[in-house]
Amino acid sequence: MSILSFAIRSGDYAQGGSASKGLKEQLKKIGAAPEIIRRVMIAAYEAEMNVVIHSVGGRMTVALDEEKADIEVCDDGPGIPDIEQAMKEGFSTAPAAARELGFGAGLGLPNIKKNSDYLTIESQVGKGTSVKFRILLRPQALGERMRNSLHIAPAGCRGCYHCLFACPTRALRVRGNHPEVRSELCIDCSACISACRTGALTVLGTVGQLPPGEGRVLVVPPALLSQFGPVVGRVLDSLAELGYRDIRVTQAWEDALRGAVMLLANQVSQPRPVISPCCPAAVNLVAARFPSLIGHVAPFVSPLEAVRDSLVGKRAVFVACCPAQRTALDVGRLDRNVEIIVPSVLCNAVMPLAMSQRGGVSWRDSSLQTGETSHQTSSDMNVMRVTGMQHVVNVLEKVEDGRMNDVTVLELAICDEGCFGSPLLGEDPFIARQRWVDARRPADVGAMAVRRKMPLVAKAGLRLDNDMSKAIDKLAKIDILVKSLPRKDCGLCGCPTCVAFAEDMILGKASRADCAFFHEGTEHVP
Amino acid sequence: MKLAELAKAIGAKILTNSSSQEMCVEQVYAGDRISDLLNHAGEETLLVSNLASSQLVRLAELMDISGLCMVNGHMPDPAVILAANSHGTVIMVSPVGMFETCGRLYEALKPKGRGGP
Repeated sequence: MSILSFAIRSGDYAQGGSASKGLKEQLKKIGAAPEIIRRVMIAAYEAEMNVVIHSVGGRMTVALDEEKADIEVCDDGPGIPDIEQAMKEGFSTAPAAARELGFGAGLGLPNIKKNSDYLTIESQVGKGTSVKFRILLRPQALGERMRNSLHIAPAGCRGCYHCLFACPTRALRVRGNHPEVRSELCIDCSACISACRTGALTVLGTVGQLPPGEGRVLVVPPALLSQFGPVVGRVLDSLAELGYRDIRVTQAWEDALRGAVMLLANQVSQPRPVISPCCPAAVNLVAARFPSLIGHVAPFVSPLEAVRDSLVGKRAVFVACCPAQRTALDVGRLDRNVEIIVPSVLCNAVMPLAMSQRGGVSWRDSSLQTGETSHQTSSDMNVMRVTGMQHVVNVLEKVEDGRMNDVTVLELAICDEGCFGSPLLGEDPFIARQRWVDARRPADVGAMAVRRKMPLVAKAGLRLDNDMSKAIDKLAKIDILVKSLPRKDCGLCGCPTCVAFAEDMILGKASRADCAFFHEGTEHVP
Repeated sequence: MKLAELAKAIGAKILTNSSSQEMCVEQVYAGDRISDLLNHAGEETLLVSNLASSQLVRLAELMDISGLCMVNGHMPDPAVILAANSHGTVIMVSPVGMFETCGRLYEALKPKGRGGP
């Protein structure tokens, strides 16, 4: 980690950009790719010139390590009264002197957002503004060391091995009642959580208190609002009682994404079917198990990430229904404004209130619309929705074989009925979804689909060895070893398949004696 | 096309003495807003602008573009040329306005063998 600091002088247009230039020299020295340097420069220069034009002076501080550049540009005043307005393209308060020089187009902050991987803005009128952004220097490298948000509580495990076989990427092992996850294989889906009967597998952050609602935006999936019986408005009322008056339901962003994907699908050059990135776990599945289909995935971020993007500079509480959503929101932990909770935290708080209210109370009656507007748009296009892990895998295999070219858009969700089927929610997915379809729901706020900043890349998955020739040796050894195993894929050794067991043995993570069919002195037991 | 050849083709005068006149131009972007110019400044790009400030030279330096083209025969300050010289940025001045400059650039750079628009 290396820390660099540059002063920025107010109103000094002649020297403006010198901090960015200093940063560029450093990036070149560490061998950052030209495309990455370009992104850093656009964001850094815009942030620097904001300080020159608007503030009384400030500084740029850069923390560089081999994976990322964390850049903070802060000043000592005057502060931004309304960050949301400042983020709008075309809004500018730049003085005439700056405009004459070509600044003040109102594109500065939007430009920073477009060219950084995470952005957060904090500002206090009279005190100053801090613009922090992160740019990944090696996006692929980060993907290889994939982070995941699966939480294992070994105390709850009774060694039933259900999770072993549920995992679509064979990422789990069970050793002596301790589930282990191979994070390089895990795609953050909910399959093992669904399979686990004892609660030993869950999403990180299951313990935790609901933060106070005042001054915070609450972001919830529709599935959460239909957990408590037929009246969605009543749940919104209860949330308002808890102080959450600004609630964003992700449906609007799901609809926006659908619209954007359809527009894209109309282009002739797009390989069919276009896969909608509505479920981040499904996108991970494609990247891990079906890398040949990466070109099919529409280049947008998931609806939840799009909401986060629209809330830059605001304090917000997000409800994540699966590990993938949590990981997507959590990456970097840069934004202190973002708090993530799991559904149970919210449900526990809402339940007593929602149940105690009588009658069909509707929250802000005028702002509720009658349901099911979203699917009408899809009627004139060939959109296929597939939910549930097994079905998603089947369909992706067919896409890979080129047998799905008649479908224009493919919406995949790992959980049954999408997030309605999250294992973290109690209600049956079909009932919950129908309630939402029938419900009067909050009016859509200006939701937009957000483009991906970095292209989706294949997940490297298991690497036998960093040295390719050694890896090839190991491959050969595994091949021989597998032939000596019973190939029953019984799971008793704690690995989901005999091949996985052989890999683990070669990697020194399992021993031959773990195999239930192995006896000392015998080479091949049926 | 090489910068020096391009300048000749559009009747522009190169003001800087840098050796990077040998650099190639693959794309051209014209605009007067720094944010727009930043967004479109890639490698082998020539930026055309009414701005003739040292900020434009700074931008060229940060974004590693091939060169800058001022229009309307507008001569930048000697200080700007000095800055460009020290960073190896090429500045040319076109005698005509933005619209006609762009037209000439298009003619010079359009793929050969195909007709005009």
